[in-house]
Amino acid sequence: MRRSPIRGLLMVSPPIVLIAVFVGFPVVAAVLYTFGHIGGTNSVIAAIGQRQHVSHGGLGTAAAYREVLTDQQVLRDLLVTVLVTVITVAVVLLLAGGVALYLRLSGGRIAKFLSGLAVVPMFIPVVIGGYAIRQFYATDGLFRTLAHHLGWSDAPTLSYTMGAITIGEIWVSVPFGVLLLASGFAAVPDGQIEAARDVGASLTRTVFSVILPMSRAPIVIVTTFTAISVMGSFTIPYMTGPSAPNMLGVTMTNYFVSFNQPQQAQVMAVVVFAAAALIGSAYVWANVRSGRTSGVSS
Amino acid sequence: MKSTVKVLAVAAAAATTVLLAGCGGHSNAGTSGDTGSKEIRVYADGDVNVQSVWEKTIIPGFQQANPGYTVKLTFDLHGQNSTTQLSKLGAAVKTNRDFGFDLIDSGIVTSAASSGLLAKPDAAKLPNLSTVSPDLLTPVNGMAIPYRGTSVALAYNTKFVQTPPKTLDDLLAWIKANPGKFTYNSPNSGGSGGAFVTTVVDKYVPADARAKMATTYDQADEKYWDQGLAALKDLGPSVYQHTYPNGNQAVLDLLAKETIWVCPVWVDQSLTAKAQGTLPSTIALTQISNPSFTGSGAYLGVPKNDTRLVAVHKLINYVLTVPVQTEIVDVMSGFPVIDMTKLPGTEQAKFGGMSNKTFRQGYQSNVSNDLNQQWQAKVP
Repeated sequence: MRRSPIRGLLMVSPPIVLIAVFVGFPVVAAVLYTFGHIGGTNSVIAAIGQRQHVSHGGLGTAAAYREVLTDQQVLRDLLVTVLVTVITVAVVLLLAGGVALYLRLSGGRIAKFLSGLAVVPMFIPVVIGGYAIRQFYATDGLFRTLAHHLGWSDAPTLSYTMGAITIGEIWVSVPFGVLLLASGFAAVPDGQIEAARDVGASLTRTVFSVILPMSRAPIVIVTTFTAISVMGSFTIPYMTGPSAPNMLGVTMTNYFVSFNQPQQAQVMAVVVFAAAALIGSAYVWANVRSGRTSGVSS
Repeated sequence: MKSTVKVLAVAAAAATTVLLAGCGGHSNAGTSGDTGSKEIRVYADGDVNVQSVWEKTIIPGFQQANPGYTVKLTFDLHGQNSTTQLSKLGAAVKTNRDFGFDLIDSGIVTSAASSGLLAKPDAAKLPNLSTVSPDLLTPVNGMAIPYRGTSVALAYNTKFVQTPPKTLDDLLAWIKANPGKFTYNSPNSGGSGGAFVTTVVDKYVPADARAKMATTYDQADEKYWDQGLAALKDLGPSVYQHTYPNGNQAVLDLLAKETIWVCPVWVDQSLTAKAQGTLPSTIALTQISNPSFTGSGAYLGVPKNDTRLVAVHKLINYVLTVPVQTEIVDVMSGFPVIDMTKLPGTEQAKFGGMSNKTFRQGYQSNVSNDLNQQWQAKVP
C-alpha cells in the first residue's frame, strides 16, 4: 500500500497534541518557575511555596539551581541515586541476560520455568513487594532468622539501608529485562549460532561474538529503561530505605510536600529530567539503529 | 486503514469536546453571596477512621436533622491529592471561580488559612463556635473551625517498662539507657515523630519566641533549633537500628512486635489500634511534661468565595454539637473540641486525665516545614 504523508501525520498528531498540551506546557511552565518566573500559571504555586528565588526581569535567576546544586544533602542524595542506578542496571543486565541466554541456548523445561519465575514480580504491586522486602530483611525478619539457624548469628539487617533499596530496585526491574532480552536473543537466527559453532567457536565465543553484538538494541533499551525508572523511583526507596541519605525521588517529594519548597523540588526534577533525556537519547539511537538493521534485532 | 483513520478522527473530536467542556464548565460560577443550594460538597482526607466518621456519623445524622439538605463527600485517602487541592483552591479563589467544594477537612486547611484562601467564620451564624476552646483557634488566626483534636503521647509496653518516663529529660535519659528500644518516625512522614522532634527542640527555644513560632513564620527564630537538633543527633546511636521509619504506622508496627518498647504515638491512632487488637493490650499511654508533646486540632475550612454559606453553616454548627462530639470520641478516639465536662462520663474517662485544653500547639505550618528540612539535613 502506498503511504500518504498527510495521513501519517494525521495519525500521529493526536498523541503529539495530547503530550504538548498536558505534558509539554506544564514542563515549560515548571522550567520557567525554576528560573524564578513566578507570574502567569506559576502564580498559584508561588503564592504557597517557601524560600523561593524570584527573578527580577530578564532571562531569570539561577539562584535556585545554585542553592540546590551546592546543598551537601542534595549532592549526597544525587550520588546515592547514581550509585543505586548503576549497580541496579549492572545486576539486572547480568541476571536477566543470564536467564535469557540460558533460555535461548538450552530452551528446556527448567529454562522456561526460570524465565517464567523471573517475570513474577511484574504482577506483584510495588508497594506490596517493598513492604515484603522491608519485613524480610528486618532485625527479626526471615532472612536473619534463617541465617541464625544456619549458624550465622550476626547477619546484617538490610531493611532501612541502601542494600534493601538496591534489592528492591532489582526485584522491580528484572522482569522487564528478562522479557526484552529473551525476545531479543530469540531473534538471533539459529543458523548464525550453528555456523559459529561449526567453525569451532566455543560457547563463550558464540555468546560474545554473535548473540550479544546482534542484540545490541534490546540491551541498550533494557539499560536505558531500567536506568530511567530506577533514577525516578519513589516507592521502593521510600519504603525500604534510610531517612538519609536517600534517593532523589524521595528527596524531591520531601521538598515538595514536607518542606513546602516546590521550586527546589522542581530544580531537582529538571536535573533528573536532563539526566534521563541523556540516557533516553541512547534509546533513540538504539531504536534508529534497530530500524535500519530491521529484521535482525527488533 | 480507512476505518482506523475514521475512528481516530472521531476520538479526536470527542476529546476536543471534552476539553472545551472542561475549560468552560465553571465560567458561570463566582458570583459571591448565597445561591441557596442545599447540597454541601465536602472534601475530606486522612485515614479510614476519618472517612468512617463522615460517612457513618456526621452525614447521616445531619441529613436526618435537616431534611432537604444533602452532603456529598469526596474522600481522599491519606491526602494523596491534598497538595493538588490546595493549588486548585488557590487558583479558584484567585480567579473567583467555584472551587468545587464548600467545606474542607484536611491538613491543607491550616496552610489555606495562612495564605488567606478561606472565609472568616462568622460567629453570629455559628452559635456553637462559642463552645470551642479559643486556644484552638489561635493556630489558624481564627480563619478555620476546629472540630476534633488529637495529641501525641508516649506509648510504652508495660511488659518491659513499669515506670514510664515522666518528663522529657527522663525520656531522653531512658532512651540512652535502653539503646535500640525507642524510635520515632521521620518528622516529614507523620505527626507523631514530628511532635517528638518539635518537643525536643522546644526545650531550648525561649518561651516568647516559641509562642510566636506557633502562629508566625520568621526564619530568624529558627536559630534556636540548633541545640535541640544536636541533642536529637546525639540520640541517634541509641535509636532502634539508628533508623527513623517512614510513617506513624511503621513505628506502631515495631511497637506491636515488641521490637521497641517506647515511642511517641498519636492518641487516637493507638487507642483505635488497641481496640482493634493490632496493638497488644500491654501497651499504655502517658503524657510527658516539660515540655509535653504537641497536639493539634483538625480544622474545617470554607473557601473564601463559597456560595453555599447558609447550608455550610448549618453543617458546621451540627458538627460542634454534643452528640457529634461524643461520637467522635467513641468512633475515632479523637479529642472533642468543646468543653470535655459536657460529654458523658465514659467519654471523659477515655483519655485518662489527658486534657483537650492543654494541647501544646505545634509550629505554624511554614515553620514546621523548615524544621522538617533541618531535621533531614542534620539528624539522620
